[in-house]
Amino acid sequence: MPTRATALRPERRAFVTRAAPGLVALGAGVAPGGAVAAAEFDLAQLAALLGRVKSGEASFVEKRRVEMLDRTLESSGRLSFRAPDSFTRETLKPRHEKLEVNGNVLTMSLGERSRTLQLDSSPETAVVVEAIRGTLTGNRDALERFFDASVSGSAGRWTLDLVPRDLRLRGQVASVRVFGRESAVREVQVLLGDGDRSTMTIEPLAGNAP
Amino acid sequence: MTAGRRRVAVAAWLVGLGAAIAIAVRANYVADLSAFLPSAPTPEQAVLLDQLRDGAASRLVLVGIEGGSANERAAASKRLGAALRASGRFASVDNGDSAPWQDAGRFVFAHRYALSPAVDAARFTSDGLRAAIDDTLSLLGTPAGSLVKPILLRDPTGETLRIAEALTPARAPRSEDGVWVSRVAPRAVLVMTTRAGGADLDGQEQALATIRAEFAKVTAAPAKPGTGALRLAVSGAGSFGVAARERIKGEVERLATVGSVAMVALLWLAFASLRSLAIAALPVATGVLAGIAAVSLGFGQVHGMTLGFGTTLIGEGVDYAIYYLIQARPAGRDAKEEGAAGRWLRDSWPTVCLGLFTSLIGFAALVFAGFPGLAQLGVFSIAGLSAAAATTRFVFPVIAPHGTPGQGLRARLGRFMRRGAALLPRGRPVFAALAVLAVATLVALPSPWHGELADLSPIAVADLQLDAALRADVGAPDAGTLVAVSAGDAAGALAAAEAVGARLDGLVDAGQLGGYDSPARFLPSPAMQRARLAALPDATTLATRLAAATEGGALPATRLAPFVDDVQAARGALPFDRGALDGTPLASAVDALLLRGDGARPWRALLNLQPAEGRTLDADRVRAAIAGIPGAQVVRIKAELDALYARYLEQASWQAAIGAAAVVVLLGLHLRRWRRLVAVLLPLAAAVLIVLAALAASGAALGILHLVGLLLTIAIGSNYALFFDHLRQKAEVDEDTLASLLLANLTTVISFGLLATSRIPVLHAVGIVVAPGTLLCLLLSAAFIARAAPGEPYGKIREG
Repeated sequence: MPTRATALRPERRAFVTRAAPGLVALGAGVAPGGAVAAAEFDLAQLAALLGRVKSGEASFVEKRRVEMLDRTLESSGRLSFRAPDSFTRETLKPRHEKLEVNGNVLTMSLGERSRTLQLDSSPETAVVVEAIRGTLTGNRDALERFFDASVSGSAGRWTLDLVPRDLRLRGQVASVRVFGRESAVREVQVLLGDGDRSTMTIEPLAGNAP
Repeated sequence: MTAGRRRVAVAAWLVGLGAAIAIAVRANYVADLSAFLPSAPTPEQAVLLDQLRDGAASRLVLVGIEGGSANERAAASKRLGAALRASGRFASVDNGDSAPWQDAGRFVFAHRYALSPAVDAARFTSDGLRAAIDDTLSLLGTPAGSLVKPILLRDPTGETLRIAEALTPARAPRSEDGVWVSRVAPRAVLVMTTRAGGADLDGQEQALATIRAEFAKVTAAPAKPGTGALRLAVSGAGSFGVAARERIKGEVERLATVGSVAMVALLWLAFASLRSLAIAALPVATGVLAGIAAVSLGFGQVHGMTLGFGTTLIGEGVDYAIYYLIQARPAGRDAKEEGAAGRWLRDSWPTVCLGLFTSLIGFAALVFAGFPGLAQLGVFSIAGLSAAAATTRFVFPVIAPHGTPGQGLRARLGRFMRRGAALLPRGRPVFAALAVLAVATLVALPSPWHGELADLSPIAVADLQLDAALRADVGAPDAGTLVAVSAGDAAGALAAAEAVGARLDGLVDAGQLGGYDSPARFLPSPAMQRARLAALPDATTLATRLAAATEGGALPATRLAPFVDDVQAARGALPFDRGALDGTPLASAVDALLLRGDGARPWRALLNLQPAEGRTLDADRVRAAIAGIPGAQVVRIKAELDALYARYLEQASWQAAIGAAAVVVLLGLHLRRWRRLVAVLLPLAAAVLIVLAALAASGAALGILHLVGLLLTIAIGSNYALFFDHLRQKAEVDEDTLASLLLANLTTVISFGLLATSRIPVLHAVGIVVAPGTLLCLLLSAAFIARAAPGEPYGKIREG
């Protein structure tokens, strides 16, 4: 059973990746930027638009459809982001759980337990972290290093499609689709390699710093 | 000597020589690094040093693959890793490839209820089950879900993941293309543990050869063209040991060769006679063989470094031959044959003998210096010098009753020496000023006595830099901080490790500790395993609670029958032991952290500590946290070794002081007058001070070996002072005697000067002190002990 084995790999992806989809959702809380009027809205323009926002806070609701389970799993909480490389995802329901990323260090807290891990030791995690870090900071280089990225729509209503470049990683995360309006990320859909999917809707909170 | 006694003397010498040769031929010659570690006075330090010699750290090999493209390096790493795992020489080979962990995964899954730190009675209540299942379900629909789903129905409480979590190192190497890579350089990295012990240098060498050979195969048949550009970098304690052995071997050969050539040249200058040359070599050869035999008998092995040091014995041993051969000449044309040797024995032997005893006292300090390597040097020198002196005393009068026939350049050397001896006293103000300056320098400068144990290690700086770089890549702990617990058996040691681990968990959760390794994570104590298994409820109870726990949840209890079955099976299981881990990577992980005990020492578990990200490790906090756990102690390896070394330095200071005092007493007994004693001691003291000041001014960090060197300087230098004193007492002095003194000093300076050029720090430290020190002793003795009458320092000079 390779899956059990991989749970014990030195890089121990299992532990880390539980938190990963949450990171994808961290596009929340970006303040509305100025309207960008362009006939062909592309990745360069989206990156410039998103890069204007340095920090933000948002609430999220995540729904996950898992083939094995009878019904959809739902959780909710808060997200926050601060440039250049810090995120927090705090799940409040159904149970309290917190995940923080600072640079290359990822810290997980669940109840009393707290563990840290270096992001670059777990590419599976890094790929989802970079998806959102690159999106929020408008870091086109980071996005293109990890993904085949394509943008459709307009500045007022855009869609960013991210497919991991690394074929091995596609077995875990098949694709990530981010929906947004102006410089605000509003929804993140993650399609997993085994067909399960999660959808996180994001509602920016008031008082976001530009 | 009667003819009979002569025959006995020669026969005894030949028998002794034969025995020494027999022992030397069969001796076990070694060149490992353990001789550079002090012998440990306490059991705790003994364990520490055992670990350094033969523990997991000493069996660690770090490998870097450089050059080529990232893909090529990754492919090479995978192929090299697979080949090395298959070679059987390594207990573990990690390169980030998950394949070898499959067995470990199976084992962990099968024993999850004995291994999981989460298993207790509370976890199997309705509330506990609900929380645990919610935890697991929270992973579904995430990338981690693909790992959980296949085992969800058998392990809905997520014990397998909890164990994986506990085994997750806080600092793992960077991973790219499925293998570990450096964070700072284009380099793939592998970490392996040899099966051969760290002290088994042959085994280490074979392991290193295997790595090189397999790497050559990998690059010889490249997966893609251009892979040939890949380079291999290997480091680790084993490679250090092997490299040091090579270096020591090379040094010994170099020292012996250069030393012998220099001695032959000097002797040719002195005698210009092949026969004399051959005779002069006898005490040296006898001394070296006796030294090797004594060390072999006393220590069971002979270290290469001891042989390197043996070159100084060439220098000292040859002195006796020089003294005898030059000085034991017929007193006059009418003197009888017997008279030459007899006169030497009467006139000069007591002085030579006294010099021998002072040297022996100096080397005796080495025997008690607390380092096995140094003790060997001491025993080697004591046995060697005694044998060389005895050969001269008892054998020379038989085989060379007339001394040497040859003259060589001796007359010139003697005249040079006489002129020097006449001139040197005029330099007294200069020498006195030098001595005062030396004292002032020593007072003004901070203490140079800050040498460290690491200074003794014969490892090249470039090798250490490569090691540091590879260690940083893989996050392998350097000599850091660990908690050691001891107990009478494995179960006790593991239980103590669990008790310590429970306290450390608090520090980890509080962010004060990054993490720690414990053998109990892989192999819980039998008591802990039993307690966990006993916490599992029976099938009926579990089914009831499970129904309550999953009510209204996404995963109905009806689907969890496999879970109930597995729990039932686990309840009846017996605790597993170390043997059950065989064939999985967990075995080597446990072996590195759980040290087997025997009758003499206890079982010991080691918990390596990792500092929290961006913080240094607070040993006091850890000490406070584990207070009260019997047999548990915090060991800071570097600090502990430094303390050990400092203790030895202090101890060695006392031994050196006692040795110096013994030399003084011996001299006093011989000289019998205070004035003479002071006159002999002053040049020695001045020489020591000047050498010390020069070393301090050069910024050298002085340690035990420099101290030993100073004592040797006094012990050897006193010979020259004594000779000058002896000459002053005599009515007439010949140039041959002066020449012999100069030659003897030159041999000493040359042999210790050779040591000073050695790249082995132990030998270098002794040489750098003794070579200039003894030369100064000669000059200062000539300047201060000689009579001040210019032109005729020794009264009437008898022209040879």
